[in-house]
Amino acid sequence: MSSRLRVDWPACRRRGFCSELLPEVVELDEWGYPLVTGEVPESLTRLAREAVRTCPTLALRLTDLPAAAPPPGRHTKRFL
Amino acid sequence: MTATVLVRPTDGGTGPTLRVRSGPRLLADLDDGPGLDRHRDRVGALRTPRLARLLRSLDALGIRGRGGAGFPFATKLRTAAGARGRPTVVVNFSEGEPASFKDAALAATRPHLVLDGASLTAGALGAREVHLVLPGERPAVRRSIRTALAERRGEDRRLRWRLHTADPRFVAGQARAVVELLSGRPNLPVTGWQPEAVCGYRGRPTLLSNAETFAQVAAAVALGEDGYARLGTDDEPGSLLLTVGGDGSRPEVLEAAHGTAWSAVLPAGLLDRPVLLGGYHGTWAAPGALTGLTVSRPGLAEAGLALGAGVVLPLADGACPLTRTAGIAGYLAGQSAQRCGPCLNGLPALAAAVRSTALGRPATGRVTQLADLVERRGACAHPDGTVRLVRSLLAAYPDEVAAHADGCCTFGAALPGEEVAS
Repeated sequence: MSSRLRVDWPACRRRGFCSELLPEVVELDEWGYPLVTGEVPESLTRLAREAVRTCPTLALRLTDLPAAAPPPGRHTKRFL
Repeated sequence: MTATVLVRPTDGGTGPTLRVRSGPRLLADLDDGPGLDRHRDRVGALRTPRLARLLRSLDALGIRGRGGAGFPFATKLRTAAGARGRPTVVVNFSEGEPASFKDAALAATRPHLVLDGASLTAGALGAREVHLVLPGERPAVRRSIRTALAERRGEDRRLRWRLHTADPRFVAGQARAVVELLSGRPNLPVTGWQPEAVCGYRGRPTLLSNAETFAQVAAAVALGEDGYARLGTDDEPGSLLLTVGGDGSRPEVLEAAHGTAWSAVLPAGLLDRPVLLGGYHGTWAAPGALTGLTVSRPGLAEAGLALGAGVVLPLADGACPLTRTAGIAGYLAGQSAQRCGPCLNGLPALAAAVRSTALGRPATGRVTQLADLVERRGACAHPDGTVRLVRSLLAAYPDEVAAHADGCCTFGAALPGEEVAS
């Protein structure tokens, strides 16, 4: 299953490791911030996980596609 | 004869005096004043429906959030109800959009309608706390709400009201910035990995919406589905609040039923001018574009327009939309929280490119490039809203851009001279 890289923008300090690891999916914009150009195909998942792990400011996350929507009909309240 | 109420939301005689016009529903009978007794005479005792019943009504009436994004309120409520943990309710009065005054008007004239809506929503959800987020730059809103809460002793049993004051800046009212404020951190946007309705304040499901949304919910419960749908159209039942305030004129808050012709909302002379709909994060309507259109979300969307939080800004006679957009873009760049790289770098560059275009040195290619570069690349929607404004200018006024490139302005304004570098 393909996935998507998401950037925690306030955390990102444009170190650029992500783009070095994953040039197929991450380019850098004119200021040096990551420009995620597309989904992460399954063949690149391992590298994407490494990018998430090695980001110096921990500003990356890998999320599944499509975004998980809450299942319909769960109206009942569940208290902790 | 339309009754109006004058309100001064800011202190010290500096801010504008706000005119609130009587309307068909939320703003009916303004002469009654904001007190609880007369409110109960009008809408009856507070009733808290069961969650399933409330969801059914909200679904049937299609009530959407009134903070700008227009997200279906029932979907948010259903998500919060189904998520893990005891939910919290947040009422957002902090109108970050500086030209919006409708929630200040509600606080001054109809505070109990908003509080009823929040109270019954909290009751249906099983929430025990309601957080009220008030605008720091409009202290009168806080006073109105405190007065109203003091009147409500015994009305909302087992419910605790908690007041917060938002910073006076554009992005302070963004949902994630509000959750940060509640949590005691700086009132600035952060990345939300999940919707607030799933994981918000203290990791709990947080039902956050604009003050008017809760007033509409209270009206829907008090009137019932049929009663609520008596106003508006089949597709969009009910009414909405608008702030109409052009450059240099006194802002006016009014209520319009969905489906009302714009010609009935705005004086004829104003329809022939450029109108900025939705405020500084909004869209430009070309002169006359609103003629024949009605107050309707889908109807405006078809024409490429968006109402946002209901701000309607007709330009003053002879004012140029391109020059005005350059000014607003500069203001918005200054309102960035400066925490997200693309916004911190991109908005000042975008504002400079728009200013250059207004000064007759067209940079529309650069404007388009920067718009693509900042959009959806931040923790909040501030870059997206700025891009929406700038793109709508290029779409509605291509001839004006061309005229400025030729050194003249079709609105008769003199091109601003070269600015002294600061």
